[in-house]
Amino acid sequence: MSEPAITARQAPPWRRRTAAVLRRLLGAVAVFWAVATFTFCVQSLLPGDRAEMMLNVASGTLVQASKAELAAVNARYGFDQPLSVQYLRYIEALPRGDFGVSYQTHRPVRDMIAEQIRPTILLTASALVLAWVIAIVVTVTTAGRPGRLSRFIGGVQVATAVAPPYWIGTILLVVFAVRLRLFPVEGDNGLPGLVLPAAALAIPLSGFLGQVIREEFSRVLEQPFVTTARMRGMGDTGVRLRHVLRHAALPGVTLSGWAVGALFSGAAVIETVFARPGIGGLLVAATSSRDIPLVTGIIVASAGIYILANLLVDLAYPIIDPRLRAR
Amino acid sequence: MTGIGSKTILGLAAAAALSLGTARAEPPHGGIIRYGHEQEPPCLYAGWVQAGYIQRQYADNLVARDHDGRIVPWLATEWTVSPDNKTYIFKIKPDVKFTDGTVLDADAIVYNFNHWFSDDPDKINRNAKLYVYEYISSVTASDKLTLKIELSRPYQPLLTVLSTYFFGILSPTALDKGPQAVCEKPVGSGPFYVEQWNRGQNVILKRNPNYNSAPATAHHQGPAYVDGIVWKFLKDDTVRYGSLVSGGSDAIYDIPAVDWDEARSRYSVIQDITGGTPTRLQLNTAFAPFDDVRVRQAFAYVSDRRKAVDVSFHGSTPYNGNGALSLSTPEALKDLAASYPYDPAAANGLLDQAGWTGRTGDGIRTKGGQPLMVRILYAAGALINSDGIQVLQILQDQARDAGFDVVLKPIPQADWFAGKGRGPTDYDAQPAYWVASSAEILKISWRPDQRGVVNPNNASRFQPPELWAKIEEADRTFDDARRLALYQGAQRIIVDNAAVVGLFPLTVSIASQPKLKDIWISSPVSEPVFHDAYFDR
Repeated sequence: MSEPAITARQAPPWRRRTAAVLRRLLGAVAVFWAVATFTFCVQSLLPGDRAEMMLNVASGTLVQASKAELAAVNARYGFDQPLSVQYLRYIEALPRGDFGVSYQTHRPVRDMIAEQIRPTILLTASALVLAWVIAIVVTVTTAGRPGRLSRFIGGVQVATAVAPPYWIGTILLVVFAVRLRLFPVEGDNGLPGLVLPAAALAIPLSGFLGQVIREEFSRVLEQPFVTTARMRGMGDTGVRLRHVLRHAALPGVTLSGWAVGALFSGAAVIETVFARPGIGGLLVAATSSRDIPLVTGIIVASAGIYILANLLVDLAYPIIDPRLRAR
Repeated sequence: MTGIGSKTILGLAAAAALSLGTARAEPPHGGIIRYGHEQEPPCLYAGWVQAGYIQRQYADNLVARDHDGRIVPWLATEWTVSPDNKTYIFKIKPDVKFTDGTVLDADAIVYNFNHWFSDDPDKINRNAKLYVYEYISSVTASDKLTLKIELSRPYQPLLTVLSTYFFGILSPTALDKGPQAVCEKPVGSGPFYVEQWNRGQNVILKRNPNYNSAPATAHHQGPAYVDGIVWKFLKDDTVRYGSLVSGGSDAIYDIPAVDWDEARSRYSVIQDITGGTPTRLQLNTAFAPFDDVRVRQAFAYVSDRRKAVDVSFHGSTPYNGNGALSLSTPEALKDLAASYPYDPAAANGLLDQAGWTGRTGDGIRTKGGQPLMVRILYAAGALINSDGIQVLQILQDQARDAGFDVVLKPIPQADWFAGKGRGPTDYDAQPAYWVASSAEILKISWRPDQRGVVNPNNASRFQPPELWAKIEEADRTFDDARRLALYQGAQRIIVDNAAVVGLFPLTVSIASQPKLKDIWISSPVSEPVFHDAYFDR
């Protein structure tokens, strides 16, 4: 909400808007490039001979490879080129979504990610929606009310916000799938199989979102316009839903951009626990087998989605908050 | 499964009665086995034993090995060995085809050998090369159904090694499709074929309706009874066992230790102790402190390993005191199993003798100002599961009482296989196993460095000439009693010098729903076999 530059103020509104969007886009591209470069640097700095590692990991056997074997691998993957050449090739291929070929499966990384990204997006999107629903229901019904129950619920929100999804996932699994048999333990990629993993990711996030909304909610409840609404004869629930929530939800919306990143990293653990398809589980497998192109591809793709989500939040902000539009 | 040391436990009396029945009607056909495995291998072919378990379902080998150590027909119906033990002639089973329709004949097998021994990283099969390449002078097809293997010098374990999964025969047509195809959709002639690998989730195996090349160890010839297998990767113990309990899986692998007792009362449980080397601490004899045999022996005496294994595995895995060989290996010396019992007094006495008499403020022994530190390097979650790590933690704790500062250093699976951080000065002890059927593993573990080429699998860096002489002689000795004596002499040298400290063997356990019958665990390296399995109506 900073003051726009003088020149922008003089320009027509559509040009100002376009300039703002372009600035955001340029920023996003710069961040994406920085992430890609950082990922490249980290993998280049990893110790050890990459060709030797590939040969040994593939065979599951530790053998000193012959010079001929190593030379063949180095030539194939271009490891014999200077680092600067490797970097340029890597950056140049990025816009095409070309991350090279997996060291383990010898398949294009792009295809592997494309196959697995849908379930992850489905899982993280469901978790985000579920987290919002839980946070809103809990906050609207309890925030700003005196008494022990409200304080207790606030405490529960703090506790869930810091609970690791892995732990919550295991508890949910044992209770609802193994004991009560309400949901499948694994192997179901439809809606019933989505409930527990999404809940495991959503519960900590809902605690976090709830905490943020709750504080703002309590503050807004004290505002004069709320008193005015009450004086007009509006019921408590109506006031909370129609007036207070709108204000209180704003910081939560900002946080949702960040939450996409948190959910993606949480998905790596949850997909492994629940044996679900997705790039999270793929990342875990790729990391443990040191499949560098695949790890790089997944990190850069996840970063891309994270940057995109934040870009959307930034662009959507004026739509949610009319005050930003008016300026 | 009557092999020495290997055992079968059947949780249900009914299951035992059925599976032992010899004469019975043709079992019901149909159904898909939903099998919850644990680790997902990076490739479905060769490599790690985790790929070998799947390979046993889709590929056949030249010969098979039963649990008594006998070599029996598989793709080879019969064979002869020349008097000088250097020429092997195999008759190949006629009319066998790979599941892609390619003919399986002697030429196809020769093609496989050439592929394995290639220097091309896209073709090489490094396990196959490691075991036999040095002995082989030629592999040729005398005619369509006659395979001739000529050796440059005799190698007694040849047939045993050929029965191991990494010598599984694949279709030449499929091999020609390159490494991606071989890794993701390898084609063999087995009772099932790989339909699809859904990474991170499962491998879909379908029944081979034309299967006609079952090994002599199989319970029946001809195609499998079930229509297929969904081979799921359920890495989390709670999920894997929970999947069996909730009915989401018909069978699971590696029953978690905490669920062992319950599983045995509710499900059909089978277990096999894998041969080869057990998980044992390989002590780095090249550098201080373990360059001194007294310090190595002290480290063996310092903890109650038997109890640590019992406590950590809840009785699901036995203690393996003989660190040279797994207790199910036919050549394993029984009396070495009791070597180095828990004896803190002996440990302290040996350390005093070795000159580690100083003490730091927190009770760690020192010598010449150097603390008595032991770095244990291991592949966490891959070669050592959480129960195994607990054994190491107990050992760490007890060793401290005698003045050892034990540092646990877990590294990722890939770094382990790649040998990263496993340089000769990077560790003092490495716990690991290597599956095999018998003492042919000693060659892999104890080969000395040759012409400057370090043998990284000899993590003990223990290479006295008399040890290698015994192993080499045993590997070329065809007199059974004499070979056994040589292998046992080698074990004595290894254990008496405390080059390794035994912990526990690799075990394969499978729990299945009572209605699913006749899954069995095969020699040589405890592969689960689904070819004979069926659903009881």
